[in-house]
Amino acid sequence: MTTTAPDLDKTPAKPAKARRVGGVMGNAGLYLATGVAAVLFLIPFYLIVRNAFMTDPEITGEEWKWFPSTIQWGNITEPFDDVTVDFARSMWNSLVVAVLHTVGILLICSLAGYGLARIPYKHANKVFYAVLATLMVPTAVTFVPSFVLVSSLGWVDSYRGLIIPGLFSGFTCFLFRQYFLGFPKELEEAARVDGLSYWGAYWRVVVPNSLNFFAAIATITFIAGWNAFLWPLVIGQDPSAWTVQVALSSYATNQTVNYHLIFMATAISILPLVFVFLFLQRWLVQGIAQTGIKG
Amino acid sequence: MSTTTTRGVASPAPAKVSKDRPRRGLRASSTFNFWLFTGPFLIGLIVFVFVPIGWSLYLSFFEARFTVTPSEFVGLENYRMILSDTDFRNSLVTFTVFAAFIVPTTWAMSLGLALLVNRLRFMRAFFRSVFFLPTAVSYAAAALIWKMSIFNGVRFGLANTVIGWFGVENIAWLGNPDPPWYWLVIVTVRLWLQSGFYMILFLAALQNIPRELYEAAAIDGAKPGWQTFRYITLPQLRATSTAVILLLLIAAYQAFDEFFILLGKATWGMPPLVELYKMALGENQNYGAGSAGALVLTALICLVTLFQGKIMGFGRGEESQ
Amino acid sequence: MSAMRNVNWDRRTVLRAAMGMAAAGGLAACGGNTGRSSGSGDSLVQYFHAYGEAGTEQAIKRYAKAYKDANITTQWITGNNFEQKLFAALLTKNAPDVFEFHPQIQLIKSGQVADLTDIIEPVKSDFNQADITSHTVDGKIYGVRMIDDPQFFFYRPSVFEKAKIEVPQTLEELIEAADKLTTSKVKGAFLGNDITTVQNPLIWSAGADTLTADNKPAFNTDAVAEGLTQLRGLFTSGNLLLDSPTDWWDPSAFTQGLTAIQWCGMWAMPAMIEALGDDIGVFPFPKVGSAGKQSVTNGGWSMFVNAKSENLEAAKAYVKWLWIDQKKYQEDWALSYGFHIPPRTSIAQSATKLKTGLPAEGVKLFNEFGHFDNIGWTQAMIAAVNDVMANSVRKNADPKAQLATAEKKVDAELKKLFG
Repeated sequence: MTTTAPDLDKTPAKPAKARRVGGVMGNAGLYLATGVAAVLFLIPFYLIVRNAFMTDPEITGEEWKWFPSTIQWGNITEPFDDVTVDFARSMWNSLVVAVLHTVGILLICSLAGYGLARIPYKHANKVFYAVLATLMVPTAVTFVPSFVLVSSLGWVDSYRGLIIPGLFSGFTCFLFRQYFLGFPKELEEAARVDGLSYWGAYWRVVVPNSLNFFAAIATITFIAGWNAFLWPLVIGQDPSAWTVQVALSSYATNQTVNYHLIFMATAISILPLVFVFLFLQRWLVQGIAQTGIKG
Repeated sequence: MSTTTTRGVASPAPAKVSKDRPRRGLRASSTFNFWLFTGPFLIGLIVFVFVPIGWSLYLSFFEARFTVTPSEFVGLENYRMILSDTDFRNSLVTFTVFAAFIVPTTWAMSLGLALLVNRLRFMRAFFRSVFFLPTAVSYAAAALIWKMSIFNGVRFGLANTVIGWFGVENIAWLGNPDPPWYWLVIVTVRLWLQSGFYMILFLAALQNIPRELYEAAAIDGAKPGWQTFRYITLPQLRATSTAVILLLLIAAYQAFDEFFILLGKATWGMPPLVELYKMALGENQNYGAGSAGALVLTALICLVTLFQGKIMGFGRGEESQ
Repeated sequence: MSAMRNVNWDRRTVLRAAMGMAAAGGLAACGGNTGRSSGSGDSLVQYFHAYGEAGTEQAIKRYAKAYKDANITTQWITGNNFEQKLFAALLTKNAPDVFEFHPQIQLIKSGQVADLTDIIEPVKSDFNQADITSHTVDGKIYGVRMIDDPQFFFYRPSVFEKAKIEVPQTLEELIEAADKLTTSKVKGAFLGNDITTVQNPLIWSAGADTLTADNKPAFNTDAVAEGLTQLRGLFTSGNLLLDSPTDWWDPSAFTQGLTAIQWCGMWAMPAMIEALGDDIGVFPFPKVGSAGKQSVTNGGWSMFVNAKSENLEAAKAYVKWLWIDQKKYQEDWALSYGFHIPPRTSIAQSATKLKTGLPAEGVKLFNEFGHFDNIGWTQAMIAAVNDVMANSVRKNADPKAQLATAEKKVDAELKKLFG
C-alpha cells in the first residue's frame, strides 16, 4: 500500500514543455501569488504571537505597533500562574481526552467499517444505512438528551463523560468502510487461505497495510478531540474537568478582559497541534490520497 | 461518491455469498464475525445516538419547558409553532444564503491553493504546511482572534488600522448590520479554517491524475493553462469535487461556534443550530419546540443531500457496477 | 503469518477479546470521576457566575470553607456561559444545590427553586423592601438578595468641562453630548456592544414600564418608540462606540479612553477610581420624551436553593448561615472587591466606603431613580425586547411594529405563566 501512495513532494506531473512555456516570468508570478496567499494565512498566527508578548496598554494603544517594544517573556508563565483557571490541568485534560478519543475511535470505528465493508451478512446493507442516517442528524437534535443521559450515568465531570459519547462517530465509520472497500482483496484472500480467521486477517494483514490511512484518520480525530468545545463546556462543570478550549473561553468571557493572557493561552493551546501536524502531516496527506474520501 | 472507482457511497458491501461457507461452526460464520466487528460500535451508536434521537422525537410531541421528562402531550403543536416562528424560518434562509456562498468559495479557494502548491518546485512542503496549519485552530480560538484583534470596531483592530491608513473611518464590523460586514468576518474565518484541509484533498487528487493525459493533450495541441485545466484537470477532479462539496455542505449545516461567538444577541445572520440552541438551552428552555425544530432541520438535510446526490452524480459508481 | 494462535479461536479467547474491547471502550479505569458522592447529606454544590473583580472567587470559597455543617464545592462559571450551564445542569442529577441568579417567576412556576420564606421572615424588615418584593410570589419569598448593583452612565467631569457640556438631562442632550465629545480616537458614548443593556432604562425613562402591576405588557408606548428612533439616530451617527472588545460591564472601554461616556455598573467603581482618580461622575439614563423621568437599573444577584436538591434542608441551612446570619461576610462581599450596595439596611448604613465621593453619588442615584427587578419579567420576555433593540436600533426596522411584535410574544409568555 505504502508504495502506491503518491509522493506529494515530487515534482508535479506536468509535461516538460508546459513547464518551459511559463518560464521565469510564470515562476515569479506563481511564487508571488503563493507568497501573498501565505502571508494572508499567517496573519492570524502573527497576531496571536504579537499580542501574546505585548503588554495590554501596548495592544490597546492609540498607535498600531507591529512588534512589542520589549518582548514580554514573562507572559509565557502567566496562564500557569493564574489562580482562577488551572491552565496546566486543562492542557492535561485536553491531552488525555484527545488521545483516548483518538485511540477509541480508531479501534471501534475501524472494526465497524471493516465489518460493514468486507464481512458478508445479509442485513449489512440495512445496518450501513442506519449508520449513514446518523450523519444527517445535527448535534443540536441530540445535545440535550445526550447530556441528560450522560449525567444520569453519573459521568459529568469525568473523562468517561468527555470521551465515550463521542466515540461512535458515524462519519469515521463511514470513512473506514469506504477505505476498506478499496483495500486489495488479494491480500486478505491470501491470509484466509493461510487459515486466518476474519479477526486474525484483520489484525495481521489489513491493519499493518493500512497504517497511512489510520494515521490520517488519527490526525483528523485528534484535532477534533482537542478542539471540541460545546460538549466539554457542559460536561466539564468542575474546573478540574475543563479542557483547554473551555479554559480559553473562560478567559475570553471573563468580566475583565486580559488581552495578553488570552492570546498567550491561545498560543499555548495551539502549540501541541502544530507539532502533531508537522510530524504527521506527511502521513495525513498520503493517507488521504488513498482514502475513500476522494472517491 | 465516485465516478471512477467502484467505491460508491451507497453501494452495499459486495455480498460474497460463495465465501460464506459454514466451516468450523459459529466462530467462523460470517454473521458472527460481522457482529463481532460491528457490535461495539453499534451498541454505542444505539445508546449515544439513537436513544437521544428517539428522546428528541418524544419530546417534540410534548409541552417540555424546563423539563426533559414531560407529561403534557401536545401532538403537533411544537411543529406548528416552530414552522410559524419567523426566527427559525429566517435562519433557514440565512443558512441557504450562507451555504450558497461559502460552499463554492471554499471549493474554489482550496482548489486554487492546491493548483498553486502543486506547481511549486521549491519550498512546496513549506507552503503546504502554511495553508494547512489553520486546520489546527479551533473555531472558538479563531473566532476570538477575529473578534478581538482583527475585526473589532475600535482603533486597535487590524482591519480598522489598515483602512485607517487610507483615511477610512473605523467600521463596526459586527455591531452594525448595515452594510452587512459581519458576513465578511464570518466568511473569512471559515475560509481560513477550512481551505487548507480541502486543499490537501485536491492536492492528493491532482497527484493521482495520470501524466499521460497531459502528454496526450499536448500532442493534440491543447495549450497548457486554461485549456488543459478545463478539459483534463477539472474532469479528473470530479470525484474529489463531489466529495468536497458534500463535506462542505454538511459542515455548513452544522455551523455553530463562530456565529454563536461572533454575533451575540443579533437577530440576523443566525444559522438554524444557533436558533435551536437558543430555543432549547437559552432563555426559553423549550425542549419540545427545540426538538421539533431540530427534527425539521434533519429532514431538510436529508432532502438536500439526496438532491445534491442527484445532480452531482452521488453514488453513480453503484449504477456503473 | 500462519502459525501460533491464529486458526481456531476457542470461545474463551473470543470472549476475552470482546471484553478487552468493551474495557477499551469503557475507559472506566481512567474515569477519575470528580463528582460528589451523593446521599451523604453534608455535601453541597453552589454555582456562581465569574465576577470580574480580583479576589471574588477566593472570597466565596473562603466563606464556604468557614461553614462547618457541610462540605461546599463552588463552581465558578465564566460570564457568557453561566445561564446555559445552569439551565442544563438543573435538568439533571448533577444540579447545584445552591445557585445565584436573578428573580424570575418561571423558576418558581417550574418548581426549580425552593421557598425560603422561613429563613428570611425573621429578618425581613432589615432588607431593602424593594428587594423583598422582587423575590415574592403569592406571599412566599424565594431568594435571598446578596447584592444590589445600580447601573448608570459614567463620565469624566474634566472632559465635559473642556467641551463645555452640561450633564445630559434628556436623551436629545445625551445624543448632542456624544456628538461633541467624539474625536478621531474617542467615541462619544458606549451603551454596550448590543445596546440591550439600556433597554429597560429606555422604557422607564420614557415613562413606561416593562409590566403593569397586574402583569400586562406596558412597554409598547409611543414615547418608547420615539426613544428607539432617537437611539437609532445615535447608532448611525458614528458617535457611538461599537464592537468594543470588552462589553459594557467592563470599565476598560472607559478607562482606556475609547469612549467619553459609558453605561456601566457600580461594581466597576474601584477599578475606575484606580485608573482615573476622582475625575469621574455618574448620571442616570436621561429623560425620553416630555413625560419621562430619569432612571437607573437596580440589578443584582440573589441566592436560590434548588427545590429538587437531595440536600434541600442542608442547602437552606447554608444559605441562611451565609446570607442571613454572617453579616461580616455579607459586608465583605459587597464592599471589598467591586462596589455593591448591601441589601441589608443595617449593613448599608454602616458601609463607610459608600458614604463619600463617587460611591455616595451612586447610592443617591440608586435611591432616587432606581428600578428593581420585576419577578414577572422573565428571560423569554427580556429576549423579546432584545430583539426589538437589535431590529429597530441596530437594524432599521420600524420601532412601533417591533414593539407590537414583542408585546405579542410577552403576552403569550404571560399567558403561560399566569394563565
